[in-house]
Order: sequence, then C-alpha cells, then structure tokens
Amino acid sequence: MKRRTFLGGTIAVTTLGLTSSAGAQQPPIKIGMSMALTGGLAGGGKASLLGTEIWRDDINARGGLLGRKVELVVYDDKSSASETPAIYSKLLDVDKVDLLFGPYATVPTAPIMPLVKQRGMVLIGNFAFQVNSKVGHDMWFNVAPWGPPDSWAASFLELGQKAGGKTIALLAADQEFAQNMALTARDVAKRMNMPIVFDQSYPPNTVEFSGIMRALNAAKPDVVYVASYPPDSAGILRAVNEIGVSGNVKIFGGGMVGLQFGAVMENLGSLLNGVVNYNSWLPEPTMYFDGTKAFFETYAKRAVEAKVDPLGYYLAPFGFASGQLIEQAVKAAGSLDQKAIAKYLRENVHNTIVGPIAFSADGERKETATLQAQFRGIVDKNMEQFRSSGKQVILFPAKWKSGELITPFEAARN
Amino acid sequence: MNRGGTQFWIGAILFLVATFAMTQIIGNQYPFFACYVILQFIVLAVAWNILGGYAGYVNFGTSAFFGVGVYTAVFLFKAAGAPLAVQIAAAAVVGALMGFALGLLTLRMQGIFFSIATIALTIVIETSITNWRYVGGAAGIQMQQPVAMEPFNSYVQMLFFIQALLVVLAVATSRYIQNSWIGRGLQALKDDELAAECTGVPTLRLKLLACVISGALMCAAGAPAAMYLQYADPSSAFNLNYSVSVLAMSLIGGTAHWAGPVIGAILLGTTQQLLTVTISSEVNVLVLGVMLVLFVVGAPEGIIGLIGKARRNRNEGEG
Repeated sequence: MKRRTFLGGTIAVTTLGLTSSAGAQQPPIKIGMSMALTGGLAGGGKASLLGTEIWRDDINARGGLLGRKVELVVYDDKSSASETPAIYSKLLDVDKVDLLFGPYATVPTAPIMPLVKQRGMVLIGNFAFQVNSKVGHDMWFNVAPWGPPDSWAASFLELGQKAGGKTIALLAADQEFAQNMALTARDVAKRMNMPIVFDQSYPPNTVEFSGIMRALNAAKPDVVYVASYPPDSAGILRAVNEIGVSGNVKIFGGGMVGLQFGAVMENLGSLLNGVVNYNSWLPEPTMYFDGTKAFFETYAKRAVEAKVDPLGYYLAPFGFASGQLIEQAVKAAGSLDQKAIAKYLRENVHNTIVGPIAFSADGERKETATLQAQFRGIVDKNMEQFRSSGKQVILFPAKWKSGELITPFEAARN
Repeated sequence: MNRGGTQFWIGAILFLVATFAMTQIIGNQYPFFACYVILQFIVLAVAWNILGGYAGYVNFGTSAFFGVGVYTAVFLFKAAGAPLAVQIAAAAVVGALMGFALGLLTLRMQGIFFSIATIALTIVIETSITNWRYVGGAAGIQMQQPVAMEPFNSYVQMLFFIQALLVVLAVATSRYIQNSWIGRGLQALKDDELAAECTGVPTLRLKLLACVISGALMCAAGAPAAMYLQYADPSSAFNLNYSVSVLAMSLIGGTAHWAGPVIGAILLGTTQQLLTVTISSEVNVLVLGVMLVLFVVGAPEGIIGLIGKARRNRNEGEG
C-alpha cells in the first residue's frame, strides 16, 4: 500500500510543480545548475558558486537579461556522480530552467552529458576535463582554461626541456583527474623524445611519500611531473622538504591540485617555494582584464560573509565568466533559443574577466590558457602575501608571462 | 496459498501495474530519475536484510557488491555490447559467487570481525578496479545508453520498470525466506549459533545460502546503475555511502520482518531525494544523522517494531 501511495504522491507533487510556474508577465530567466556544496569538492564548489552569484547580482543591478531578472536554481550534488542525473532532470522537467550551467569538476559532470545532449541544451562546463570527447555534444562550452587535452602536460614539459631537462619522472594519484594528466604526459613525452625514467601511481589517501621520493630520486630525473590531489600534494611537498630532491631536477610540479586554494597555500607556506604548478588565474599584472579588479573587490568582501576561500583565484572568476559568456550570447541571439546561443558562442571571441575566450569544435578552449607559475619568496602562515604579484610568477602562456623560470629546483627552493 | 500470500501477490502485481502505468502516462522524466534511486535502495536494503537482519551478520560491504554489479555491467557492455538483461543476470551470478566467498569467511569470523572483513572487501575490490584500465580505471568510463526497448519512451523509464521488477523479486525472495525453514534456521543461528548447530540446524549451509542470495540481489541492483549514470568511476561505484545508507534503512525500518527494510528504504530514500532538491546544503546531511539517532534511541526495533508494539497495546486494551 505504502509504495503506491508514495508513487501517487510523487505524481501529484510533480504536476503541482508543472502548473505553478506561471507567474508575473515577465518571469525571471532561470539558470539551473548543481554544485558541490558538501563532500570533497565543496571547498572549490562554494567559491565557484559565489562567483556566479556575484555575476547574477551584477546583471540584475544592470536591469537583467533581455529585460528579465536572472535567477539561479542551485542544488547540492554532494560532489557525487550519482546525484547529478536526477538533479538535472529536475531542473529541466520540473523547474523548467531556461539555461544550464554545469556542476564543478569532471565526476559530477560526466553523467549529465548524454541527458543534456539529448535535450539539446547549451551547457557551460565548469572545470570538467574532457567529458565531451566521447559524447560529442555540440552545445558544450567549457569555461575552464584547459584547451586541447595534451596542452597541459606539453606546456610543463616544454618548460623543463628549455631548462635543459632530458628525462622525466611521473608521479600520479590513482584518481580520475590525475590519471588523465599522467596519460597525456606519457604521450607528450614520447612526442618530445624525453624518456620516462620513473612512472609511479599511488593509491588515493596516501600520506607518507618519503619512500616514493627516495625511489624517484634514485631514478635521477631532470623533470618531475606530479599529478596529485590536495591531501597528497601536501604530503609530497613535505617529503620533498625532508628528503630533498637530487640536484638534477630542473623543474618540479605541473598538475598538483590543491596548491590553488588559499587555505592549502597558507598551510604549506615556504614549502611551496620553487614549485612550478598549473593555475587558472593569478594576481599578476598581465592577468587584469576589463572588470577583473572590480570582481575581486566584491569577492573579497562577500567571501568573508560566505566563509569561502578568501582568495578565490582558481574558480570564482570563472564562475563569473560563465555568466558573462551566457550574457553575451543571449544578448547577441536576442532570445533564449539554444541553437542561436550555441552558434554565437562557437563563432565568436568573448571578452571576460579572465581574458578573451574562444571555443574549438569540441567545446573546449581553442588555445590553452592554463597557467604554469612558479612560487617565489613565500613565507609561512601568511594568507595576505598571495594577494600581491610576484609570489606566483607566470611562465606560460607566453602572452601573460610575468617572469623567468628559476632553475634547478633546489636553487629555486631557497 | 494462504490468505497472506494471496494478498502479497495481489499487492506485488498492483505495484508492477502501477509502475508500468507510470512509464506510459507520465511524460516528465524527473519522477523516474528520483524513484529509480529509491527502488534501487529498496532492493539493496531488502538484500542486506537477508544476511544482516535474519542471520545477524552485519555486512558493511554493500558498496562492494553494488560496485561489482556496476562494473560487471560496464565490462559486458564494453566487451560485447551486452543487453541490459544479460548485464543484470551476469551481475547476479558474479554476486552469488562473491556471496559464496563471503559465506566461507563466516566460518572463521563472527560479529564485529565479520563486519570489518566486509569493509576490507570493499577496499580490496575498489583498488583492483581502480587499477583495471580496460574498464576505465581511476579515470572512469563514459557509456552511451542504447535506444530504449518498446513500449518504453525513454531508457530511464525502462530502467525504472526493471528496477521495480527487481524490487518484487527481492521482496518475494526475502518474504519466502522469512516464512520458510530457511528463515527459522537463520533466526536460530542469529540467537545462538552453537546451540543451533547442536540442535541440528545446518548453520554453514544456511549462512552460505543467505550470503549467496543477498550478494546476487545486491549485484543485480547495481548492474542497471551503470546505464542509469552512463558513467562509472570507482569512487562513486564503491562509495561507502551505499553501505551506510542501506544499513540505516534496514535499522530504521526494522530488521525482523521483510517489510522493515522496504519501509526504511522508502522513508529514507524519499527523504534524501526531497532534501537534495529542497534544503540542498549541509543541513540535509544533518537531518539524516538526526533521524538515525532518533530512531536508534526511540525505536530500536525500527518502524516494524513500533507498529508491533502499537498493535499489542491495542489488543491488550481491547482484551
């Protein structure tokens, strides 16, 4: 009995949801998304959401989009892949949202790709990595700076090669993102004729890396490419600090997740010095575009109230830029027609607070804008130092370069 | 067939007719996405209860069985493009074998030691899958749903109905076990395994049987999840959350009766789904935690226990 009553209830609730959407003459434009507000990705997810909320408040203050207010419909996906299909189905079928933003990161995004493609909706991706390569949705646009899949490893290995590096060591976590990084690094290394002398994956949640670091040192690599997650990034840097690396190592880092977040950076302090790592936005003079400064002034104030990452460089400006992309496309299309929006996004260069964005056919950036930057002169226990320029010197891409690589790694550490 | 049996089967058929009618009448996809998850939890909770409730062997390895079900389906789909029915059947066979192995463990381990071993099982299998590149390894794997079979309009509706079939299968099995010599034997060994063995209850055979059935059902419930998500990665498929939720559902519903886990799964599953789209913040984790504590303190025998108590009180009042 209970089951049937329950099913009946669900039907009733759903129909109610469908009929109650009629309202004022100019209903708001609803943008639906799920976000990691709890679980492992929540730290980044909340900062990213705050960026998008700042955009929403900004555009509403300017009179809205197509003369209508913008409203965000956000549900918590608990950082999990199993929650997002139901959430996006609710957004589309019950909330009847007009536009879609993707969840933060790859795992929660991957399961919704087929659904979104089937419904013919534009999806602005939020830092997912290569989720569209198999699905082939022609209305997917990833705001993340990744670009072509191999550009990430290529930029780091090229820096190493220029510094005189010939051999490579790969150290990667056994997790989705890190393994993708390692996979492309192997291809790039082959193409660049740089032999891999050490290739090790470690299980997630490893905390003690001194054994692994000793084995890595024994292989005498010139370039050490690390693809790790926040807890292990810290563990690896602590092991480097204890044991040291051989004088051969020209460049160290590359794909360490966690070193972009204020709390982790403050915690590691001087251990960061010399590490060259990827990033998406940094407070270097080359990185200020129209509106960037104003955004971070607002963010710094609201981050305190929202209790999220006080720096917010990694994700928050891209949350705002997602909004800017949609704003420009909707204005150009003059309607919410998904095809027209997608066409505009595909064919034009869009100016945002994180720089100009252009998309290639697969919906990723045409050119990579993933930064490689070297930590310099970091002291312990000081969050404010990361706000000034010169602490993370940009080495790649060339157009935003703000300094030269200090090499070898041992020299740069001091 | 006695009166209770007739009623049960009429109920089951009505349930299937209702779910099938839902797939034909409702165009909105969301109810299917949400209810699929709830149905999946009913199968898992009922399956868990066969071993955990009737026999008293607390299994923390639900996520191991669920994940193996997911990856059996992934493997068959990738290797041979196997249809859904084959994926589920194969997952059930693999689950039964795994259950058999788990049953052998009970030879040496009881109580808390058995529970710890089942957690270890999850970790061992997850690590193996993480390192198995063919099924995507740590990076996960994306799959595309094939076209739904007639008469279903969409694949998720089909998955929903198939999961409803699995619910009926699981509940009927559980109910049969409870009312037959198997259930009585399991009950005896739950109370005192040594005494049961001495009075002629074939304890090992019964435990093995309970493990095999429970494992097969859990894996079968996991198999369609691969196609539901169209994506699989080890950390999601082997998420300990499945073990904990299923345990909580059975405890809240009551472990002594087959209907306990069904009620618990509906209650907790629905709450989880509703909270996700209403409160949608840290608070929903808190609400679930508070619910668990309240039930453990206020109703240690679950909702079934409360109902039993209420009935007894009424009968006493009348008498």
